[in-house]
Amino acid sequence: MTAAAGSTAKPLSLRGLAKHYATADGRVIEALLPIDLDIASGEFLVVVGPSGCGKSTMLNILAGLTPPSAGEARVGDVPVRGPDIDRGMVFQDYALFPWLDVIGNVEFGLERKGLPRRQRREVAMRYLEMVGLAEFADKRPRELSGGMKQRVAIARTFATEPSIIFMDEPFGALDALTRRYLQHELLRIWQEHRKTVVFITHSVVEAIYLADRIVLMTARPGRIKTMLKVDLAHPRDPTSDKFRAIERRVYADLDEELAKSFRMEGRDTAG
Amino acid sequence: MTTASVPAGAKPRGPVARLRGQGARLLPYFYAAVGVVAVWWAVVLIAKPHMSLLPSPLLTAKTFVQLMASGELPRDAAYSVARVLAAWSLAALVAVPLGFAMGRWQRLERVLDPVVELFRPISPLAWIPLAILWFGIDEGGKIFVIFIGTFFPILLNTIAGAKNIDPVLIRAGRILGCQDDASLFRKVVLPASLPQVIVGLRISFGTGWAAIIAAELVAARSGLGYLISNGMEVLRSDFVLVGMVTIGVLGVLFDTVFRWVDARYNWIGE
Repeated sequence: MTAAAGSTAKPLSLRGLAKHYATADGRVIEALLPIDLDIASGEFLVVVGPSGCGKSTMLNILAGLTPPSAGEARVGDVPVRGPDIDRGMVFQDYALFPWLDVIGNVEFGLERKGLPRRQRREVAMRYLEMVGLAEFADKRPRELSGGMKQRVAIARTFATEPSIIFMDEPFGALDALTRRYLQHELLRIWQEHRKTVVFITHSVVEAIYLADRIVLMTARPGRIKTMLKVDLAHPRDPTSDKFRAIERRVYADLDEELAKSFRMEGRDTAG
Repeated sequence: MTTASVPAGAKPRGPVARLRGQGARLLPYFYAAVGVVAVWWAVVLIAKPHMSLLPSPLLTAKTFVQLMASGELPRDAAYSVARVLAAWSLAALVAVPLGFAMGRWQRLERVLDPVVELFRPISPLAWIPLAILWFGIDEGGKIFVIFIGTFFPILLNTIAGAKNIDPVLIRAGRILGCQDDASLFRKVVLPASLPQVIVGLRISFGTGWAAIIAAELVAARSGLGYLISNGMEVLRSDFVLVGMVTIGVLGVLFDTVFRWVDARYNWIGE
């Protein structure tokens, strides 16, 4: 199943991308300071940062769900203006449609793309097999465990053959063992299907395990603090010296930001 | 992944099993009916009330058979059911679209919500005098009263259903190819709020069924409410009781139909 049909991966570029909100009392909150970033076609980019650093905001802008306040994001040469089925997204809380069965969920995007019934059943089944859930095709999402739900969501996203996939802390709600297994599975699928992936996480180990490149973001207002290439061959061993060395470096940068964000929280509650 | 081999809540659910499930659901009503008749009979045997105050269950059953045979009871029941169905469908036709609009467009809700809140506490029965003045004692007046009575439960439940959709499902729908509002509504908003809409339709049918009797008591020449009020006037309390029993039985039947629809289309689960 190598070299899957469908659209190939596309590069993504951010130019001066920024976001601010106006609060009810007229204050302006800077969520995201202008960001410039180029993500290569087929790259696995992981964004790490403290809570409230604007990484989800960034992802929503890239997916076209929220308009930026300034700047622009481009997929290839085409500016992002709204959501598009060519850009997939995996959510932390799975976002499966509870009124559809498992295969219905995977078929949702295929139907929107206009695939005839027989063909979308076939494609959906293939992707369910890919995540090892073919025999659960006619179950309802509520009958599945969290890890299984997220595998369905991954199948649903990959099935539409997007050129870019955004993942918003997809494994954040899962237990450690399931998480480890799904990281491994995701890498396997990504190596087969080579999509451009932008992945958000709190977990430094997860970032190093998955990423071609790690982007470290600062506490509010969010901007890029450090970028870091991870030049380790897959599968990566979190107990290896090289892995540990990268981990130490990321934590050193991150600790500064965490301290800042805690101070800010203190100020927020005091004010 | 612990549930991989034995998924929770999996049980065989063929048509036969479902039918048996429906039967089991009606069984408590049967026990209740037996209990009520037993108490009723005991009261008649012990207190020996005059027949025009409280007839025995046996006499009532005889009258029931008589009224069935003469066609009066089926006719009155059909009138009441038809009125409720007409008014309730009309209310649904207006309240469901309006509810979706109010649930999805905050601005509209902010404008209309105070109006709804002002009218909602007014019992549909309080509208009966105006309904008679405006529409006379023909069908129009009764349908108007039932319309009022069924409108608000449908509207409020639809608003709640449309409003409480998990926003992440909306986002997922937009990401997965529902770019325009029409497709998003059809593929996400509608199925997501459907269970709550069905709840509104069910509750409102109950209130409508209660209100039609009241409306017919006041002004009608047909219907179960008329059968009851007429029975009182001619001192035939067995007519009154036959009317009451029919109301109860039909109410339970309708509710069972709704529960069945609900079980079929409700994805929230048991």
